[in-house]
Amino acid sequence: MDVKLNINKKEYHLNLKGHETLMEVLREQLSLTGTKTACQETECGTCTVMINGKAVLSCITLAANAQGDEITTIEGLAQGDVLHPVQQAYIDYGSVQCGFCIPGMIMSSVALLEKNPQPTQEEIEYALDGNICRCAGYPKIFEAVREAGKKMKK
Amino acid sequence: MLLNPLTLHLPKTSLEAARLFKELEDSKVLAGGTFLLNSMKLLKHKGTKTARNILSLAKIDELKGVSFQGDTLTIKSMTRINELFVSPLPDGHLKILHTVCRNISTNPIRNMATVGGNLTCRYTWTEMGAVMIALDAKMHFLGPDGQEDIIAAEDFFKNAARSEKLFTHVTIKTQVAARTAYRRVRKTLHVDVPMLAICVKTEIKGKKWYNTRIGINNGVAFAQRDTVLEEFLNKSLSSPDLGKQALEHLTTSIYDTRSNDYKQHMFRVSLKSAIEELCK
Amino acid sequence: MALTPKSKFVDEYVDPVGKSVPRIEGRGIVTGQTKYVFDVYFPNMLVGKMLRSPHPHARIISIDTSKAEALPGVKSIVTAKDTHQIKFGSNEYFFPHTVDQMAIEADKVRYIGDEVAAVAAVDEETADEALRLIDVKYEILPGVFEIEEAIKPGAPQIHESLNNIAVILPVNFGNPERVMKEADIVREDKFWCPVAHPAPMEPHVCVGQWETFTNKITLWSSSQAPFKCREALAKTLKMDLNDVRVIKMAVGGGFGGKLEMLPMDFAACLLSKKAGGLPVKISLSREEEFTTTRRKHGMIYKIKTGVKKDGTILAITGEVLADGGAYCSYGPTVLAAAIMRIFMVYKIQHFRMSGYRVYTNNPISGAMRGFGGVQSGFAIESHMDMIAKDLGMDPIEFRLKNITEPNMVTVNKMVLTTNGLRECIEKAAKASGWKEKRGKQKHLKRGIGIGIAADVMGSKMYKSHESAGAIVKVEEDGSVYLFTGAADTGQGSNTALSQIAAHELGVSYSRIKCKSGDTEITPFDTGSFASRVTFISGNAALLGGRDAKLQILEIVAKDNNLKIEDLDIKAEKVIFKKDGKLLMSFDRALELCYSFKYGKQIIGRGSYNPKTTPIDFRTGEGNVSGSYGFEAQIAEVEVDIDTGNVKLLELWDAHDIGKAINPQSVEAQIEGSLAMGIGYTFYEDLRFKNGRVLNANFAGYRVPRSIGLPKMTSILVETDELEGPFGAKGMGEASLLPTSAAIANAVEDAIGVRIKELPITAEKIIKALKEKTISI
Repeated sequence: MDVKLNINKKEYHLNLKGHETLMEVLREQLSLTGTKTACQETECGTCTVMINGKAVLSCITLAANAQGDEITTIEGLAQGDVLHPVQQAYIDYGSVQCGFCIPGMIMSSVALLEKNPQPTQEEIEYALDGNICRCAGYPKIFEAVREAGKKMKK
Repeated sequence: MLLNPLTLHLPKTSLEAARLFKELEDSKVLAGGTFLLNSMKLLKHKGTKTARNILSLAKIDELKGVSFQGDTLTIKSMTRINELFVSPLPDGHLKILHTVCRNISTNPIRNMATVGGNLTCRYTWTEMGAVMIALDAKMHFLGPDGQEDIIAAEDFFKNAARSEKLFTHVTIKTQVAARTAYRRVRKTLHVDVPMLAICVKTEIKGKKWYNTRIGINNGVAFAQRDTVLEEFLNKSLSSPDLGKQALEHLTTSIYDTRSNDYKQHMFRVSLKSAIEELCK
Repeated sequence: MALTPKSKFVDEYVDPVGKSVPRIEGRGIVTGQTKYVFDVYFPNMLVGKMLRSPHPHARIISIDTSKAEALPGVKSIVTAKDTHQIKFGSNEYFFPHTVDQMAIEADKVRYIGDEVAAVAAVDEETADEALRLIDVKYEILPGVFEIEEAIKPGAPQIHESLNNIAVILPVNFGNPERVMKEADIVREDKFWCPVAHPAPMEPHVCVGQWETFTNKITLWSSSQAPFKCREALAKTLKMDLNDVRVIKMAVGGGFGGKLEMLPMDFAACLLSKKAGGLPVKISLSREEEFTTTRRKHGMIYKIKTGVKKDGTILAITGEVLADGGAYCSYGPTVLAAAIMRIFMVYKIQHFRMSGYRVYTNNPISGAMRGFGGVQSGFAIESHMDMIAKDLGMDPIEFRLKNITEPNMVTVNKMVLTTNGLRECIEKAAKASGWKEKRGKQKHLKRGIGIGIAADVMGSKMYKSHESAGAIVKVEEDGSVYLFTGAADTGQGSNTALSQIAAHELGVSYSRIKCKSGDTEITPFDTGSFASRVTFISGNAALLGGRDAKLQILEIVAKDNNLKIEDLDIKAEKVIFKKDGKLLMSFDRALELCYSFKYGKQIIGRGSYNPKTTPIDFRTGEGNVSGSYGFEAQIAEVEVDIDTGNVKLLELWDAHDIGKAINPQSVEAQIEGSLAMGIGYTFYEDLRFKNGRVLNANFAGYRVPRSIGLPKMTSILVETDELEGPFGAKGMGEASLLPTSAAIANAVEDAIGVRIKELPITAEKIIKALKEKTISI
């Protein structure tokens, strides 16, 4: 079937069979390998992308089901050379260790801050509870989210 | 290829969906997909066949939303858990719906999973089931001919949560001066089922408890009317049936290492703390 | 001597060491551009999969691959007969008999998941189907799954070793039996430390390519130790070392599980050869991760201590039984570490402990962050707390009476130079409000507890040396390349080593680019383990930077008729040592080197082998590390006695790290370690039944998440280790060693209940509280 997907504000025309998950389309057909996957079981959150501004798991999203939606991946955040405030904050506050969870973690953070740039600690924890960071840099991740939110509020 | 080949059907109206629900063979309904697509992946990995036709409700606008009319709250089936969480609800017992949403799984799943999916697809694990029973909710189903069936949540779950028609929405009557409390019997995040959800709703006048309902995941509802507070507390906590029935409905899983003694203990502790909250 | 115009490096210069500079890879990671082996896709790449035994113990009678070979899309299949059937292991040097695993087993399988064949096909479907078509006939043998059952005579024999004991480590000093008789109080305890899994976010993944016309292998591997992997590959594939190239890209976490060659690395290469040289990618599913990769040893830890009334420890005896699973892996060294860490922490002269590394038909245990120290940390620190209680002494007072000191040699010949243990304890006690809280919050069901630990910075367990090398190449345009064999698996070693090299060279950190972990390009390095990288690889980077600096200064001195000893490079300037006066800018000096007149390429070399001795496994003696790190950790908890839930309120961790090269990175490592320690204490518990992993996914095996972590305060104690680069020791593991004990001790303070089997669960607390009420 002919499927039109809107990814990072670009339109992609794809010929899909129907069974393809969004994650497979991103990584294998479009070479957007920023979105990772680590469990294939909805538990880890590394495959998180944004659909219509909400953080969702791309490994259980049917690509064909996402027609007409606005899909944002990690590759779609920076404006040219200028990093998104969340991306910059993750670097500045030492939140990045091995980095494998980071694209998903950043997408969850952006989804939170775009709706709520001054979240409470509880709101941050709940927004990120679907993203596992095994290097467990959570304190620094929380700090980056708070600081990025301050910049985004302006 | 993580999933078996499938044909995706994308109806635009609920009537069209209700017809396809009846007509399509070898089919499953796709609401949020957090349970269905996950289990289809797992089955494929094991070499098992999965449904050929997938009926997606994603593009049906009339199945989305939370609204109020008069004294009736309507929650449509494709409302995402997080959407319900942020929907404004009047002060009072309906606020318990927010608490339930908060306790479900993790954030991205709350963004994808739907109220309808939670109520109809995994009936022993349903978090919403307990609160719908307690709130005396009515579940609405649409048939291919446009006819609507209305089933009380309690009855729906007593009958092992099956229906020939498409679930479209749930309605809840608002009641003045009722109090609700909700407890989950499990740890905060993942692991350690049992996933027992207990929801208690009651009107309290003086020391008497009116129209009290206890909802537990998938069906057992204890309704007591006009009971005195101490009586209720003592009866609930000492009733072997209550504990036994709850235990039967506790989800067992290979991840669960707890003994039955502990599960019973936790059930009582949770019920007691819910009741104590109601009495405040 | 003209000054060149100011370059941006001069304007921006700050001393790199000691500064929290941003990660080198930061930008690439946050934009999704950094590539892991997980992201490698080549044209014509094949998908490889391993065929694994469904039985925990069986003889392989026959394998028929004909149906699979006939399946369209299958490009190659490998079974034992295609291999040289050479065994590999991780303790070749010290325990040759523990080299006991074949990449593809020929005769026998010893755990559920043991590899018996591998296939490569055009896509995952076909590979899965091919696996189903391979017909293996097994003769099922009885299996054994509990440590204490496995060592009984008559238990099923897994290897050729007697009573399924791979290695016995006797550690004896002094005369503990005699001295124990002089003790006023003697206490004996037994602890159970469960199996945990590293569970890195990036699963094990590799791409193998065997160029058939040049007979050269390239393996891209998510590895913590590329050189070790190369050596094992070369050995098992019977290739020259230099015909095997292992390339580490960005690694999505390792935590010990990626420290060795695994059968999949071997299989990817061989599958590629049989498929005419096409690259083959093998990526493990999360289930395979949990069931077939290396994990922590489950240990039964028995310890008996005799003390005098005044708290002095007189003698310690005990026994450690480690469940190693089906093959030996890092077993002996983990066991040794589990027994001998105590010497770094407490002054002991009389000691007898035997360690048994036991084979069972469970999945393989190997190295995992903490390396035996997590288990011993829980056991010893809980035990010490119980002794303090028996004595009626404050736990901190008891420890302070017995801890090691700076500049001492332990009974097993470890040379402790800088030792910040006392300072760590005192600082943690002060920050946590120990005096005001200990024993005084029982009415609130709150308690506070302490655990202390020490860690090594490297360990000679690999070959005769454990040196690291570094090359610092200063290019004509002023950019500086650091080549290091050290494997950055996310801890930030590329960044820290670059800071060290830049600081020593005298230039701004922004000049440095770093390439690490490619066996063909970077110098040798044993890998990321034993918290060695900052100390050992850091020293190599320092020496490389120094060498490059001297090469530049040689030209400058020659050109200006000066003595090289009088010059130095600091803060982007060539200066006179005695008064700091400017001679010329770094850029100008570089111009000189690359001028028509001199044309000298600046290639600095560094090699560092710590002055250590390997452990003598017969006696337990050996100064295994060039430097030792120390820490004290205090936990405060609140127990809900209705539900049994333990709420961890706060954690204070005071850590002697020598010097923080990158304070932000150090804190991040500490926080990560603490969280892993919290996980091990409360919920990380890989469960088995008859050799099968019951909770092989993130739903069943819970790891720390954003919700529920306590406030964590890290206090960095800098003792400036002389031997370390700029005083640094390093750390990577230490913070999870005493966590479980600190928490268990806090629980005891709160409600008088002692949990001796991890994890601490609500059910255990309720049960213990009930028993306590009954026993009164």
